[in-house]
Amino acid sequence: MKLIKKCPVFVLLLSTGLLFTLIALGGKNTIYASQEYDPITTPLLSVMFTAANDEIYPWQMFLNQNTPVMAQGPDTDKMNPEETDSDGQGEIQENTSSGDADGIGEESETEAGEASDALDEGEKPEEKAQENTANMGLGAGAVGADALRSASESLKEEASFERLPPLRESTHEEYINHVSADIYGDAGVIRAASYPFGTVDDSYFDDALFIGDSRLVGLKEYTDLSEHADFCCETSLTIYKALEEKFSDIGTVPEALENKDYTKIYMMLGINELGRGTTEDFMAKYTEVVDTLRELEPDAKIIIMGIMHVSGQKSSSDAIFNNGNINARNNAIATLADNKNIFYIDVNEVVCDEEGNLNEEYTFDQIHLLGARNDLVKQFLLEHGVTE
Amino acid sequence: MVSFSSLEFLFRFLPVFLMIYFVVPNKLKDIVLLIGSIIFYAVGEPVFILALAAATLMNYWMGTKMWKLNEGFQLSDWQKKRRKRCMIEAVVLDVAILAAFKGLAIFVDNRLLPMGLSFYIFKMISYQVDTLRREIWSKPKFQQAALYFTMFPQVVSGPIMRYNEGGFDGKREYGLQQFEEGFKLFVIGLGMKVLLADRLAILWNDLQMIGFQSISTPLAWFGAFGYSLRLYFDFWGYSLMASGLMVMLGFDFIENFDHPYASRSISEFYRRWHMTLGNWFRDYVYIPLGGSRCRKGRLIFNLAIVWLLTGIWHGNGLNYVIWGAVLGLLIILEKLFYGKILNKVPVLGNIYLLAVIPLTWVIFAITDLQQLGIYFGRLFPLTGGAGIAVNQQDIIKYSQNYSVYFIAGILLCIPAVSEFYKKHRNHPVIIMALVFIFWLSIYFLSSSAGNPFMYLNF
Repeated sequence: MKLIKKCPVFVLLLSTGLLFTLIALGGKNTIYASQEYDPITTPLLSVMFTAANDEIYPWQMFLNQNTPVMAQGPDTDKMNPEETDSDGQGEIQENTSSGDADGIGEESETEAGEASDALDEGEKPEEKAQENTANMGLGAGAVGADALRSASESLKEEASFERLPPLRESTHEEYINHVSADIYGDAGVIRAASYPFGTVDDSYFDDALFIGDSRLVGLKEYTDLSEHADFCCETSLTIYKALEEKFSDIGTVPEALENKDYTKIYMMLGINELGRGTTEDFMAKYTEVVDTLRELEPDAKIIIMGIMHVSGQKSSSDAIFNNGNINARNNAIATLADNKNIFYIDVNEVVCDEEGNLNEEYTFDQIHLLGARNDLVKQFLLEHGVTE
Repeated sequence: MVSFSSLEFLFRFLPVFLMIYFVVPNKLKDIVLLIGSIIFYAVGEPVFILALAAATLMNYWMGTKMWKLNEGFQLSDWQKKRRKRCMIEAVVLDVAILAAFKGLAIFVDNRLLPMGLSFYIFKMISYQVDTLRREIWSKPKFQQAALYFTMFPQVVSGPIMRYNEGGFDGKREYGLQQFEEGFKLFVIGLGMKVLLADRLAILWNDLQMIGFQSISTPLAWFGAFGYSLRLYFDFWGYSLMASGLMVMLGFDFIENFDHPYASRSISEFYRRWHMTLGNWFRDYVYIPLGGSRCRKGRLIFNLAIVWLLTGIWHGNGLNYVIWGAVLGLLIILEKLFYGKILNKVPVLGNIYLLAVIPLTWVIFAITDLQQLGIYFGRLFPLTGGAGIAVNQQDIIKYSQNYSVYFIAGILLCIPAVSEFYKKHRNHPVIIMALVFIFWLSIYFLSSSAGNPFMYLNF
């Protein structure tokens, strides 16, 4: 009693600290299972805060008790980013159902992958890439791989390139070390590059929409492209939130697509997602978003922009934000390009040095282009118009 | 661990240390604090702990030589002379150590500068001079002097306290209330550092990311003010944490900042900013040179010396020298010409200070002189600093993103706000606010792993 009277702040902090530790302890194997923490340097209670940062709150411990999804190993962890994100969007889906929905989504994705694996057995991707490049009209063969996606089936039929299957699965080791596995190889990139992009002028972007993270925010704010195109871009945007996020002047992406007929949709997302889930997780969500965009705006060309590299200094010193991981994910999303409705371009061609790292003269923080250097990206886009 | 605003310090070192410190009997507390300080420093600097140890031994030994010449009711001339020679030898050695490491850092590798060196060397010089001046009243035991030099709350970034500011004679007072007061100061300092300084640091990082050549003039000024606030709360926050810890351990509070941004001249500003450093230069450089009670020419010389040294002390770049020189020049001009006007006309002084100080901080902030030139070009575009790819609307975005930190920061710059806190510091609302500030800080520290820039998403 005397203690609390004389040291109220200290006593309150001690007791709240104790409470937080108990909460962290209680959720250790459930809601906090995926939070990394180093017991030597950090207190246990910090997982409560890191989780809150991922929008996982203590009370979910009780809400999620009857869903066993959290109970086992890496698969459950993988789901966390998605689940958290849908939790953040309370109005759209309820907590419990969102968990289930994601589960199903992921399952079907895996099945789709397996199905296509089976289909392509014995056929080497390189061969297939060549074959496809030679035969742009081929379309019917693509149906099998994505048959489970009934919603986008019709789209696939007219596609000239089928979506390539992964060559292998991410390993558990890659997952726990935050290594984005290069499970697709560069077949998709090579195939996408075969499209003869043309030179266009600024007015080409009058009906273009850009979806992206801070790297495209730079393009918006430091070039005159924003006088022509619209931007659904925001710092820290991820593919998981791309369709739900409300952008200050233009609303959500679906709203923007409803309000104006765009014929080009550019998207550069993926750096914030590094270190989160596996290449498969990222790819599943990315595919879903691209397909949804196609559904919402069937007449628009979708131009997937490869994730811009980081500088060599950053790449060699960061376990997560490095160019190896970026390339792995670029190789994945490039396979979505069919060179008819969906295209893949890689701005790294103009912003990187000979070693393929973001040119250090173009950046201060080793990640973003300096304001004045965004013009490089604009010029690149002008030279990579979809003109046919 | 060496940063007070790290989870490792807050939840590992500090609780263990405090528990041992308060469990052992009073006469062992000095030893516990000394060992704790050695561990604290050695974790941060496993090699340079040797430099600290060597400097400590040397300074204690040199000081002891002076004490041996202290006998008799009145010192005779030969004693005075020899004592003075001892002091000069010690100070020259200290300065040589500082200069040698600084030289290594500038010309060889930045990592060769031991942590906190400029702070503990200044304490050592102060110890020697105070011994000579007989301002240390009884001969310190080795353990006490070592504690003064190496004490972990102060060893990294000050405040540069004096030996005679109490507490080293083993007669400290411990009490729950004193502990609580110190703890509160620590929490406030932590909040300033984590919730204000670290957030505002991101603004400066943003400007660098854009590139100074592409920021609009309003944003350049906004950035300069933001940097001024950030630096203030970084350092004031750190000083409050350090002094808060000292109070918790039974020492007196050492004031290091007294609302400098409410000053009305540059000279007043530096009597209220990093006060222990300013006082150090006053007592050990400026006054020995003759102070202000001398001819005008001499006064200018004295001020120039003090401010050049201040500039050099702060960092290894040429920009720090320019920064010190500009401040010295402004202070000389104030002393000779317009200082009295600034003091007489209300508000004028405040406006002058708030316009000039942020500009001097820009010099302090940008080590690359070419970049510094570009930034000033953006601040004053009429002087020919045309930008490249400038987004004229950028200020809207950044003022929206950072206004909350600016408002909180500006409020804390007002002396009346501190008075209000002092008056009502035991009010339940204030107590709850402190608890909230603490956990909010921990939230930021947890989710950014101690690096504010980690908190950035791209």
